[in-house]
Amino acid sequence: MEVFLSSYGAAIVQMALAGVLALSLYLPLMAGQLSLASPGFYAVGGYTAALLSTTVFTGYANGSYPIPLIVVEMVIAGGVSALFALIIGIPSLRLRGIYLALATIAFIEILRVFALNQPWLGGAVGIYNIPQPFFSATRIEYLLLALPLLFGAMFFVARLERSRVGRAFIALREDELAASAMGVRPTYYKVLAFTLGAVLAGMAGALNAHILNTWNARQGTFDLSILILAYVLVGGSRTFLGPVIGGAFLVALPEIILREIAGAPGLNPVIATFLRDGRLILFGVLIAVSVFFFPYGLITPELFKRRRKKPEKVTVEAAKPTPNVRGGNL
Amino acid sequence: MSAEIMLEARNMTRRFGGLYAVDNVSFEVQRGEIFGLIGPNGAGKTTLFNLITGMTPPTHGELVYKGENITAKRPHEIAMRGIARTFQNIRLFGSLSALENVMIARHIHTKSGVIEGVLGLRPAPQEERATRQRALELLDLVGLADSAETKARNFAYGDQRRLEIARALSLEPELLLLDEPAAGMNQSEKSSLSEFIRRIREQFNLTIVLIEHYVPLVMGLCDRIAVLNFGQLIALGAPEKVQNDPAVIEAYLGD
Repeated sequence: MEVFLSSYGAAIVQMALAGVLALSLYLPLMAGQLSLASPGFYAVGGYTAALLSTTVFTGYANGSYPIPLIVVEMVIAGGVSALFALIIGIPSLRLRGIYLALATIAFIEILRVFALNQPWLGGAVGIYNIPQPFFSATRIEYLLLALPLLFGAMFFVARLERSRVGRAFIALREDELAASAMGVRPTYYKVLAFTLGAVLAGMAGALNAHILNTWNARQGTFDLSILILAYVLVGGSRTFLGPVIGGAFLVALPEIILREIAGAPGLNPVIATFLRDGRLILFGVLIAVSVFFFPYGLITPELFKRRRKKPEKVTVEAAKPTPNVRGGNL
Repeated sequence: MSAEIMLEARNMTRRFGGLYAVDNVSFEVQRGEIFGLIGPNGAGKTTLFNLITGMTPPTHGELVYKGENITAKRPHEIAMRGIARTFQNIRLFGSLSALENVMIARHIHTKSGVIEGVLGLRPAPQEERATRQRALELLDLVGLADSAETKARNFAYGDQRRLEIARALSLEPELLLLDEPAAGMNQSEKSSLSEFIRRIREQFNLTIVLIEHYVPLVMGLCDRIAVLNFGQLIALGAPEKVQNDPAVIEAYLGD
């Protein structure tokens, strides 16, 4: 167990955070908006927590930083990210599809360069010695915070999908013009979906600042945009479970390749080297292949419905010789 | 017919480049009437619907709905004022169930936000129940209650048209715009459509404007008919009068 945790403890925590980040991209996607801005809000959240814990909530020794303060930081980070999302969202959500994606990439690039050049954000070095609440080599204790965040985010999205606001999002995704003809305000709900996603990303960033112990301009860059997009595409973008499972899977996979397969005894050294150094290539191929074979992702809503509804449907159809008994002859 | 004016178009014009899709069209629709809009293909009927519902801004002209100028309003603002429509090329939310399609159009009549919806606080559960109930009633009205959970895109063409009508009614409109409701329906469906449209007018106190190519339907159903050709209004009046109008005959049969 100890060996396992020392190899995988950090990865397991990152699997949970990947789920949260994937949901932060899934939310705007629910309203039909392809936004790659999540890493930007993740970076904003990380800097918020880093600044708060090193300049405001000081006086705690490393290893005994109070957990409630981290929760407070996460809430503040979510708020700051929401503010950023409103400022960016209102002008940029007039764009659609790939143009919105490009605008959001520009946003994370601007943030990166800004952070790199601001002394109060630590410049290129960033902010370090972010205090930790645990004395921990494996980081597994962070699941105490990461899992509630993940489950909270899952609960939030799952409930949202079945509510009035969630239906408005989905209507916009399905057909914006028809949705607006039914009284749904497109701009309002797009900005709302974008902002809710930003809050999740900001909270994940705040937590990860503590886990990583340091935060700098290399966190939350364009690479992460692509990774998060892969979580959602591979996992599936039509139910909230898709991004969560996609995120966990794609974080675990390179770790397993690195530690188990590439380290297996008796493996051809050339292959072992390739697996170790080229595992990102493998990872890319896997994403391409899975998009080809599972265009809607691994997890689709039909997966659940079919299993639950099939027997019922057969009996209904068999027992219904006369359709449209009342009011049906339009 | 009472004289209360529901909708008034004044010199509505929409130009696409050099083409006048709708050219200086003026008419009034009175409360409670069924107003037909006919004309050859490309006459500008659907463009006129798009102008009324704010989907295409007019090049110039004015639209007055119940005494209020709604010319520059956005589609959702128009929907909120009680104008609902269906689409010629059917625009349902394809991957959602019939029930969800109809529930979405209850949007403006409900108000629970993110927090209430997620945590199940008042008024979300009550609204949700009422919305569901109302949507099921409307599905029943159009004869689709048995397929409430079926995805919209899996319905037959005629059923999709009915589902669109149910969705439009779910908005509780006062003015309903139907864009070729009989298209894709078979003969028996077409013949019962008139009866259905009259029935919903009574039941929901509607004023209805409909675009239709199927002449027997239009002639038998509409109180008044406007005829468009090349974007221009060439005739307006009772069905018998319009039917015998030389300009209309020429537009349909050519010279």
